[in-house]
Amino acid sequence: MATGGYVGKILYVNLTDGRTEEIPTEQYEQWGGGHGMASALFWDRVADKTIDGFHPDNLVTLMTSPFSGTLVPSASGRTEVTGIGVQAYPIAWYTRSNMGGRFSGELKYAGFDGIAVQGRAEKPVWINIVNNKVTIEDASGIWGMDTHASQERIWELVGGADTNAGDWQALSTGRDSGRTTQRPAVVAIGPAGENLNRNALLLHDAGNAAAQGGFGAVFGSKNLKAISVIGTGSVPVADPALLMDLRLFLQEDYAYDVDDPILESPVPDMNFYGIITRHPGASPVLWQGAGHPNRPQGCLGCFRACRRRWNNGIANGDACAESCYWMASTDQDDRMAATHLLDQMGLNHYDVKNHDYLVALYKMGILGPGKQIESNLPYEKYDKLEFIQAYTSAIANREDIGADLADGIARAAVKWGRYDEDTTSGLLKLPNWGFSEHYDPRVEVEWSYGSILGDRDINEHGVNTHVHWMPTVQGMFGMAPLVSAEELVTQISNATGLPPEGWDYSEEGIYADPKIAAVAWHRHYSRFWIQSMSMCDTAWPNLVRYAGPDNVGATPTVEPQFYKAVTGKDLSYEESLELGRKIWNLDRAIWILQGRHRDLEVHANYVYEVPTSAPYPLPVKENGEWTYSTCLGRTLDREKWEAVKTRFYELEGWDAATGWPTRATLAAMGLEQVADELAAAGKLGAEA
Amino acid sequence: MGDIEKTVAGEATEGGLSRRQFITGVGGLGVGAVIGGLFVNGFALADDVLAIPASGGYLLIDQKKCAGCQSCMLACSLVHYGRENTALSRIQVTQNPFGKFPDDMVLDQCRQCPYPSCVDACPTGAMHADPETGARMVDEGKCVGCERCVNACPFTPSRVQWNHEDKHAQKCDLCLESPYWSRDGGPDGTRACEAVCPMKAITFTKEIPIQSDAGYEVNLRNSHWGHLGYPTDNAGRVVSTGSTGSAASASH
Repeated sequence: MATGGYVGKILYVNLTDGRTEEIPTEQYEQWGGGHGMASALFWDRVADKTIDGFHPDNLVTLMTSPFSGTLVPSASGRTEVTGIGVQAYPIAWYTRSNMGGRFSGELKYAGFDGIAVQGRAEKPVWINIVNNKVTIEDASGIWGMDTHASQERIWELVGGADTNAGDWQALSTGRDSGRTTQRPAVVAIGPAGENLNRNALLLHDAGNAAAQGGFGAVFGSKNLKAISVIGTGSVPVADPALLMDLRLFLQEDYAYDVDDPILESPVPDMNFYGIITRHPGASPVLWQGAGHPNRPQGCLGCFRACRRRWNNGIANGDACAESCYWMASTDQDDRMAATHLLDQMGLNHYDVKNHDYLVALYKMGILGPGKQIESNLPYEKYDKLEFIQAYTSAIANREDIGADLADGIARAAVKWGRYDEDTTSGLLKLPNWGFSEHYDPRVEVEWSYGSILGDRDINEHGVNTHVHWMPTVQGMFGMAPLVSAEELVTQISNATGLPPEGWDYSEEGIYADPKIAAVAWHRHYSRFWIQSMSMCDTAWPNLVRYAGPDNVGATPTVEPQFYKAVTGKDLSYEESLELGRKIWNLDRAIWILQGRHRDLEVHANYVYEVPTSAPYPLPVKENGEWTYSTCLGRTLDREKWEAVKTRFYELEGWDAATGWPTRATLAAMGLEQVADELAAAGKLGAEA
Repeated sequence: MGDIEKTVAGEATEGGLSRRQFITGVGGLGVGAVIGGLFVNGFALADDVLAIPASGGYLLIDQKKCAGCQSCMLACSLVHYGRENTALSRIQVTQNPFGKFPDDMVLDQCRQCPYPSCVDACPTGAMHADPETGARMVDEGKCVGCERCVNACPFTPSRVQWNHEDKHAQKCDLCLESPYWSRDGGPDGTRACEAVCPMKAITFTKEIPIQSDAGYEVNLRNSHWGHLGYPTDNAGRVVSTGSTGSAASASH
């Protein structure tokens, strides 16, 4: 009996020879879905893992999970993207990104559990998937179009003139070919990807972006403009009644009640408080509805609908940090226009947002017309729409300073001879792998340790929402934290199975064994549930409940329940962490083949040398008491970090001298072949 | 809705129906355009008139509250067929991700027409009004796949679908026959789309709504909704909370 949730095949497309292949999902089912399957596919199909991300042999995957296209809450619409990236510095690691929307569901309805693309087309193409029919189409008519226009054009090409009529359309001839009212789900690159910008993204619908890693440029290097999918098939569910009942239970007990909320923002029209309440449309954190009639907008099957769709159609679906792309202006309309342009150009805000660094250099007299770093952008108009539009377009088109910034801010700073100085002083905060600082690496270490030990900024908010944002947001509104620090860490401890000290961010706590175990847990949990089972970072894990009869979160009870309901298989919470650890180790092996060594796992200098100077709330245990600290005046200690690394490696079963997994560790997880390949490269960890 | 009183127990007709009282005031598209909560009991019919009881209830959707998550569609196919397939959902949501609120989305639920063209069109009686609840639904065993019902629906997209996997017509039965969940469906039970909607944008009434041909419109947005920065007026034009919106809050 086939496992529920899967539709049975993964589509492989080779753009060099136009060959397509259907890989039985069963061959990779042990990896769960999403990232796990993607890494296993990559391992099998990319012989030389040291190739550059622009190399035709690079394998890009867009993977679903068994939960995609189903009613598992906030797990239905996301798509995991993997491959060798081009963004990270100094080595562009094998990496991952992820996007929301409806692409993964539609891919399942078309009959595929994922897509893997390799090779390079001679001329621009797009991949057209209509149920089981896959064709590689000429993209010459859409190459050059922005991400939005490309999708609209592809809708017409797939569906014909009537495609937007909102009526039933047959996907093929014959009464039983299946009909749909839906538009195709398309993922496309914009000018930035076509121009091989290392921070080019994949865009789907209006504002869903797989933005980290530079996969837009990887697509561009393959001459791949877009992938479109539409389907009318069914996703099997092992126990549908259980799935429906679980969904209703979770929603009724854990979701924000829009008609009668238990916990509501203290201030009207204030999205920022939504970080705590998770109310619909909370994610465009600083944008307001006043003057901008709108609706909430949610990904497929989501129960929180964190985005918004606006009455002028600008910045639809944009959320979180990209809504904060350009903070110099106080005009919401201008700021929405700026983010909208970013989407259309297909650029990762998270790197290109460093325009404030450029303006600092401009004010320092180092950058500008006729200066050491030549640029003629209107920096003196930094808070005007004219500036940000010129800046964004320049980067997408490799013009002016965009020629340097097309390789990302880290490489640009290197080229300008400023990288060492500015990442030491903290003028340019790139704590790990050239990624911009997301949360303070000097204190919020589950983030900074996890990021440097991995391939990118982790961008996993499950712990961060509670340990940092809850006390911070409460404080912003002049209120005490919703729960005491001791209660908070107790709940997180119960939900994760780790001791409360794992959530101690004090000067001692961040170097202690419970913290190291917590960092490892976070890698394993996320690799499986978030990145392989496509559960959304803004809803999962559910560690603490603030609005309800108690503070108990739904994690770790419900995840295995949903897994059982959809797949029919039993998977305990402990087993899920083991599978996450296995996937994490496979990724680790790829990075090691790419050149990873413990000596590289060192943060930028400012992390160790510049003390924190702004309040950064986190729970700490000091003198035996739990409180929330502002964590001022803190840096990471270099030697203590080295000691943490050693103990982390030991915990993971890796050689402490190098950070490389040992054969024993890999063999115990069934990864003997991985050990063989590491050994052949002279990179297998020595046994203790 | 006023009680349907049986006056005469007549002979069964092709659709398995007997003569009985029915709602007056049928509009051009079969929708009760002139009725708003005030019901006139039917009158005795001539022997050769086919009478169809009114539906036991109607789904109302606040289009402006909808987040486009399609959970309703996922729930519909799941509780009816035990699998997930938006093409097999009896409620459809179509949207333009690049569109302008509120014209970016259309909600297409069956309106349980007082005079159901789909029932009238069916040559076998497969499409019928359930005698107990009035739900317009398909007796799948009798469906011969002629698709006259699909074509007869006066709305676009047709609220009757061709189920291409199980090979029969299907339409919203108000979850009367929804085996795959633990709640009872039907007008006196729970409807899956209504229960699952995370925005509580779907509600149910036993009284036929005041209507135009545009749809069963309803405003379900209360002050808590407005508190989040959404419009609560019927037209969806006015967000009355917070600042004017021209000055965002200070950067954090």
